[in-house]
Amino acid sequence: MNPLNSRAKIYSILLPWLDVLAITAWGILMLKYWLTDKLNLLIHPNYFGLVVAAGIVLLGISVAKTRQLWRQRRRRTESTAQHISLFPPGWGSALLLTTAILGLMITPQVFASQKAMQRGVGDLLGTSRMQPQSFRASMRPEERSLVDWVRTLNVYPEPDAYTGQKVKVQGFVIHPPELGQEYLFLARFVLTCCAADAYPIGLPVKLSKSRQEYKPDSWQEVEGIMETATLSGKRQLTINASSLKSIPQPKNPYSY
Amino acid sequence: MNQLNNGFTIFLSLLVEAMPFLLLGVLFSSLLLFFIDERKLVAIMPKNPLLGALFGSMIGFIFPVCECGNVPVARRFLMQGIPTSVSIGFLLAAPTVNPIVIWATWTAFREQPELVILRVVLSFAIASMIGFVFSFQKDLTPIVQPALARYLKFNPPRKLKSSRVRQSDLISQPVGGSSLLQSGSYWLGSKNNGETGLPQRIDSSLISDTSTESISSQPMADKMQLVLENTIQELRELGGVLVLGSAIAAAIQVLAPRDLIISLGAGPITSIVAMLVLATVVSICSTVDAFFALSFASTFTTGSLLAFLVFGPMIDLKGIGLLLSIFTPRTVFYFFALAGLLTFLFTLFINLHII
Repeated sequence: MNPLNSRAKIYSILLPWLDVLAITAWGILMLKYWLTDKLNLLIHPNYFGLVVAAGIVLLGISVAKTRQLWRQRRRRTESTAQHISLFPPGWGSALLLTTAILGLMITPQVFASQKAMQRGVGDLLGTSRMQPQSFRASMRPEERSLVDWVRTLNVYPEPDAYTGQKVKVQGFVIHPPELGQEYLFLARFVLTCCAADAYPIGLPVKLSKSRQEYKPDSWQEVEGIMETATLSGKRQLTINASSLKSIPQPKNPYSY
Repeated sequence: MNQLNNGFTIFLSLLVEAMPFLLLGVLFSSLLLFFIDERKLVAIMPKNPLLGALFGSMIGFIFPVCECGNVPVARRFLMQGIPTSVSIGFLLAAPTVNPIVIWATWTAFREQPELVILRVVLSFAIASMIGFVFSFQKDLTPIVQPALARYLKFNPPRKLKSSRVRQSDLISQPVGGSSLLQSGSYWLGSKNNGETGLPQRIDSSLISDTSTESISSQPMADKMQLVLENTIQELRELGGVLVLGSAIAAAIQVLAPRDLIISLGAGPITSIVAMLVLATVVSICSTVDAFFALSFASTFTTGSLLAFLVFGPMIDLKGIGLLLSIFTPRTVFYFFALAGLLTFLFTLFINLHII
């Protein structure tokens, strides 16, 4: 047997196992995210079931393939060699396996102010593309979350309409350069599908002192009264804060 | 470091969200490959070219394959003498006009349902138009690869016995045949490559007989083995492309200068051109390309997202490789140009609010 031939033979034995490994790793990764409650950092809760089911099916496929390979271990399989052309042999699986291993090692991160700034705070002050999904006009102002406020504002954008209403909202702090030292921006990320489309929403907060006391990315619960301020040339609904309280980052930092 | 981690989170979230849909698409196409007898379709195929093109564009609803699964099926269609308009309509529309892709698009763009509808309508319209155009080409010989042309010449449709014998010659030719191409058809000629008796190889009687017979003649377990084989193969290939595509999407989101993206994405023409180029290069599978487009949703015009979603499944770098296994380069270029220009035109209309 010439060396080339034996190498091909080794390939044809090893490659199916690489497939099995890659598929198993992905199944484990998806179930791991679910079991460790990390899935909400990546995707909208509506699709948790889908991911879990996919993880189970992937593991099922790998078990079935393992059984098949085990039964055929004595036989020579020549299927792999002629099949690959999109990638060189084994590359597809190797890519999948590498990604899954990286995913198992690195914990996904909660987006923070840096990402929000990159998305452009100029957009933040404008209208968001959010549609009022569960709009309830009768909700008491102080029970509205940050997202509820932005949705309400989208439906009826005149800031003066809300002047004097009580506010109590939670979010993380952004220091946009275009706002003065006595203003900070309280924001939350909204997911509609997955982290790739996370976009920040929020409201400016007027402080009685400098914003340097409240570090960017720190989570705050802000209580206060709504008022209208003119910020970077636009009339803008603003929270006049009476108190800020540091809170720990919520278990599920995103809104939907 | 922070940027890197953000990028990685986006990358993983795209993969985790897309993987179930990819799996669903792959499972479906593998199951259909072995359980549906497409020759039954031939009987009800309309002869009128325009109706044929429309009909072909609808077949995706019963063959939910993505753009890699459709090439082998379309090739079998052509080989079985199904009219050109139907085959080409199917080839271009099936990756988009099918339930799994519509569901995935809906998942991604719940907030812009008009995008989902327009995607289906435009893909359907463009595929039917191109199918109709090609129906005027009665003789297939100049537009298909010489190997296929020879096959059609010597094996007029309906003589299925000989078709199976010839099939293996086609496969063995180096036509840039990808594994995906062969995943649909490698079992056709299994008896001829001298390696009979392998359990995962389908017996060639499966295709020649009617599906009822083949189910009875082929043990269920063997069939499931084949489904498994095909599933893993497509998962490996398409998953690899998905990983690369997601990496590109995440990298663009994190690394590309914001000013550049905004200035490109806001222009009605530049945004479409940018997305058409991206659609060609990225080659992401149609079942999951909606998630890719999603990461541009906030910065790019609706028309340009649509251009990506309509054009990408029809033609991209990976698809060109597959298409070249059926058609001559010139024909593939016509597809590319026609589909690209039509997409550009329609999406520009949308960007300029003409329709």
